[in-house]
Formats: sequence, structure tokens, C-alpha cells
Amino acid sequence: MNAHAPVLAFEGVDAFYGAAHILHGVSFQVRAGESVAILGRNGVGKTTIVNTLLGIARHGAGAIRFHDRAIERPRPYQAARAGIGVALQGRKLFPNLSVRENLMLGAASNRAGAWTLDGVFDLFPVLRERAEAPGTALSGGQQQMLAIGRALMANPDLLVLDEPSEGLAPVIVDELAAVFGALNAKGTALLLIEQNLSLVERVSRRFAVLAKGRVVEEGSLDGIDRTSLQRHIAI
Amino acid sequence: MLIQILNGLVYGTFLFAMASGLALMFGLRRIVNFAHGALYMLGAYFGYTAAKLAGFWGGLLVAALGLAVLGVALDILVFRPLRGRDPLTTLLVTFGLALISEDFIQTFWGNDTHSFAEPALLSGVVQLPGTTFPIYRLAIVAFGILVAGGLAFWLTRSKVGLYVRAASHDPVIAAVQGVDTDRLSALVVGVGAALAGMAGVVAAPILSISPAMAADILVDSFIVVVIGGLGSLGGAFAAALILGQINVLGVVFLPELTALLPFLLMMAVLIWRPTGLAGSRV
Ligand SMILES: Nc1ncnc2c1ncn2[C@@H]1O[C@H](COP(=O)(O)OP(=O)(O)OP(=O)(O)O)[C@@H](O)[C@H]1O
Ligand SMILES: [Mg+2]
Repeated sequence: MNAHAPVLAFEGVDAFYGAAHILHGVSFQVRAGESVAILGRNGVGKTTIVNTLLGIARHGAGAIRFHDRAIERPRPYQAARAGIGVALQGRKLFPNLSVRENLMLGAASNRAGAWTLDGVFDLFPVLRERAEAPGTALSGGQQQMLAIGRALMANPDLLVLDEPSEGLAPVIVDELAAVFGALNAKGTALLLIEQNLSLVERVSRRFAVLAKGRVVEEGSLDGIDRTSLQRHIAI
Repeated sequence: MLIQILNGLVYGTFLFAMASGLALMFGLRRIVNFAHGALYMLGAYFGYTAAKLAGFWGGLLVAALGLAVLGVALDILVFRPLRGRDPLTTLLVTFGLALISEDFIQTFWGNDTHSFAEPALLSGVVQLPGTTFPIYRLAIVAFGILVAGGLAFWLTRSKVGLYVRAASHDPVIAAVQGVDTDRLSALVVGVGAALAGMAGVVAAPILSISPAMAADILVDSFIVVVIGGLGSLGGAFAAALILGQINVLGVVFLPELTALLPFLLMMAVLIWRPTGLAGSRV
């Protein structure tokens, strides 16, 4: 795989919920093996980027490319099958399925690869201990691990993480930062949607800031002044 | 008394075979299928005609296969385009389909009531203390239990069953995991329709066949699904057994209220537990 080829590219994307116009000409790229952060306050349209990719929000003008193939009118199950693993905001685990079943569901995309049930259990040993518990009986941090493990079961080329640190204690966020770093080092591209700057700084090299559905700033995180980013996220 | 309880069990298990399909369809498509009684009726008529050539078992097979195909078509041609529409639209469309089916039946089979003989294998009675009971009715209980056991096994032990349980809880989140919910829904609606069609044939020897047969069973199936908790099979099973008993015991103890009892029960459950016996669990 060409190291600099974009895995995911948004090119002037407009997106809608019904008649509500949420994204206005959003452009950004995630290249192979790269980790890109999307920052922005509450309600600016960060999750809508994910939903547009999944076909949950309606995609209007502009193009979305994954591995250089245009994604048009996607259905939600196509992303996972194409190699986009998503850990949704709020984790969205199934309370009626056990931890093990939640993970097995992640393999529904039928993509073979390095990630198996055992691999995820090795990454997050606590999930192995709680394998038969209902998915939502876990602590917040464990639930987030389950959501990430479930996304990995699709053996994705690109892992999309929508506010994974939301509501978690700093020590858990540290643990996640290490996991994201290791995944990225092994070649999985990351799209990290976050408002937690310290997590972003540890995991991503590039960023884009979203405000009112538009990308208002983007660039490298290397040596950037944190206060200049601070104003773009929730207080 | 024993006879009453047994008859309640017959009706309850039978009702489950109907209601389970309704619950499964609701789980995946979030559509309340007012055409479910019509599927049951079509199954009975298909089976009736096929049975003339191929006997009871041939009729049962034709009803199951015919309705499975019809169910898949129903999902692809009707439910899929209605995805995300408001409940009133889906209600009107499925209600319209029920009316069309009734017209279709009247056109091809007429308005008469037909009777349908039970298979020779299951005719006769069993001896119980002080009374007898038709073997065929016990076979209906076995049918209902077989459906319940088969669905439970399928849902808890197979990969597709796991996808169905996930999609019943939240179709979109299940799809995000890579479950092709379009194909899964077609399968589930096909299975639900096949169960309704088989129920139509199974009930025919004791209830007889007519264009009016759809309405009663539809109402009772809805009550079962609502009492059980929308989309929950375990809840529907319990509710079906309870409703079966209420139907027969009501006749014995509260004859004036029999027709009302199922509705009263439904209201009581909805007030006491608005999400039904099983809540939203599948
Ligand atoms: N299903 C929906 N239908 C209509 N509008 C929606 C829907 N989901 C979100 N919105 C609106 O779209 C806008 C963008 O929402 P979005 O969820 O993308 O924001 P976000 O940046 O992810 O916010 P947060 O940080 O709170 O998660 C908001 O104004 C929101 O109210
Ligand atoms: Mg969001």
C-alpha cells in the first residue's frame, strides 16, 4: 500500500438530516497509517461526518472516497465491509448481547485478518473476564474497550473513534491513548473525533477543526500552541 | 376443567406461532404488520388448495414455502421502501395490503367457508382421566412448542440468530457492525410469513377457512405482541400462553366479559409495565 495514498478523503461534502443542512463543503484526508483528529465544540457536526460515511445522514454535494473508490449512497453495513471500523459516540453496545456476542457481532463484516476474538481479549483482558456479562453491565471504560474491540473485529484499515474519552477518568484515557498509539503504529489509520486535547496530542499528528459544519482550521499538531486549539473545543 | 386448560394451551401455543412472526418483523423493520392476519389466511387457502392434490402435509409445505416467498417479496417491495417512514404510513399500507388480500381470496375462492380435514396420522383421541382429547389438538401444542424451541435455538445458537437479536434491538447499530440488515430483514419477514402461513393450515381443521378468518387472529396476535413487549419472543411466548388460558377460563367464569378480557389484560400490562412483560429485551 502506498504510504501516502489517502485511505479516506472527504472532498467538499455537504450533508443533511432531512432538510437540515449540517455539513457545508467539508474536506479532509486520512492517509494510510495516519492518525487525524477532528476537533470542534458540541453540535458542530463531528458525528455527522461519521453518519454521512455510514449513510445515516444524507450525503449531498461533494465526494467521499475510501481507498480511491467513491462512496455514493452508502448503506450502514457497507462501511464495515469495506474496511471502516467505527466506535460510535456513546458506545452503542447491545444490552441484550453478552460481551462475547457484542464482539462476535463485530465480525459480521466477514473480513478476515489479524483481529479475532482472542486477539481482542488479549488487547483488553478485562473483556475476557467479563465475556458472558451483558455488554452494558461493564464500567464506562470497559464499555469503551468493548466498543473499540467490536470495531477491531472488522479488521478495519481505518478505525473511526467518535469521542472515545467522553465521560472516562483520566487514567482510563491514558490506557486508551496507549492502545490507539499501538494500533496506529501497527498500520491502522485513525480518525479520532475528540474534545480531549491531551488525548489528541498523544494520538494524532494532524488535525482539522470543525465549526458550524465547516472546516475552519487544519494543520499539523507538531509543536502547535495548545491554547490556539483550546478555543475550538468545549470549555 | 382439564379440557379447558388444555384448550387454552392449544390456543396459546398456536397464537405464539402467529405472534412470533409479528414480533420478529417488528424487531427488524419497526413495522406493525396489519397484513399478518392476511398472511395467515393466504397460508390457509394455499394449503387448502394444495391439500386437495397433495394431502394435508403437502398443503402445509406449500403454505410454508409459498408464504416464505411472499414474505421475502413483502419485505423487499414494501417494507424496505417504507424504512424510516412514520408509523401511520406503514399502518395504512399494511392495512391496505390486508384488504387487497381479502379481495384476492374472495375473487379466487369465493365467500364460502371451507373445511379442511386433519391428517389421518393425527386423527382420533387420547384417553384422559374421565374424558378424551383430540390428538390433533395436542399436535397443535407440539407445533407451537416446536416453533418456540426452533426459534430459540436459531436465535441463541447461530450467527444469523445473533444478528437478528442485535438488529431487533437496534437495526442501524447492527448494520454499522456489518450486518446486511436488508437481507436479514427479508429473511426474517420470510420466516415470519412462513410461520403465519403454516399456522393458517394448522388451525384450519379446527377453525375452518373463510375470508373473515384473518381479523380475529390478528387482534389476538397483536395483544400477545404488545403484552409480551414489542419485538420480544420470550415475552410473546408467556403472553400467548396467558391469553390462551384467559380465553377459555373467561368463558367458564366470566362469560359476559370474555371478549373484553384480552383487552383488559393488555391495558393492565401497559399501565403496570408500559414496555410489556419482557421490556425491550429480546
Ligand atoms: N438525527 C438528527 N436529525 C436532525 N438533526 C440532527 C440529528 N442528529 C444531529 N442533528 C443536529 O446536527 C447538528 C450536528 O450534530 P452532530 O451530532 O454531528 O454534532 P457533534 O459535533 O457530533 O456534537 P457532540 O460533540 O455533542 O457529539 C446538531 O445541531 C444536531 O442538533
Ligand atoms: Mg458527536
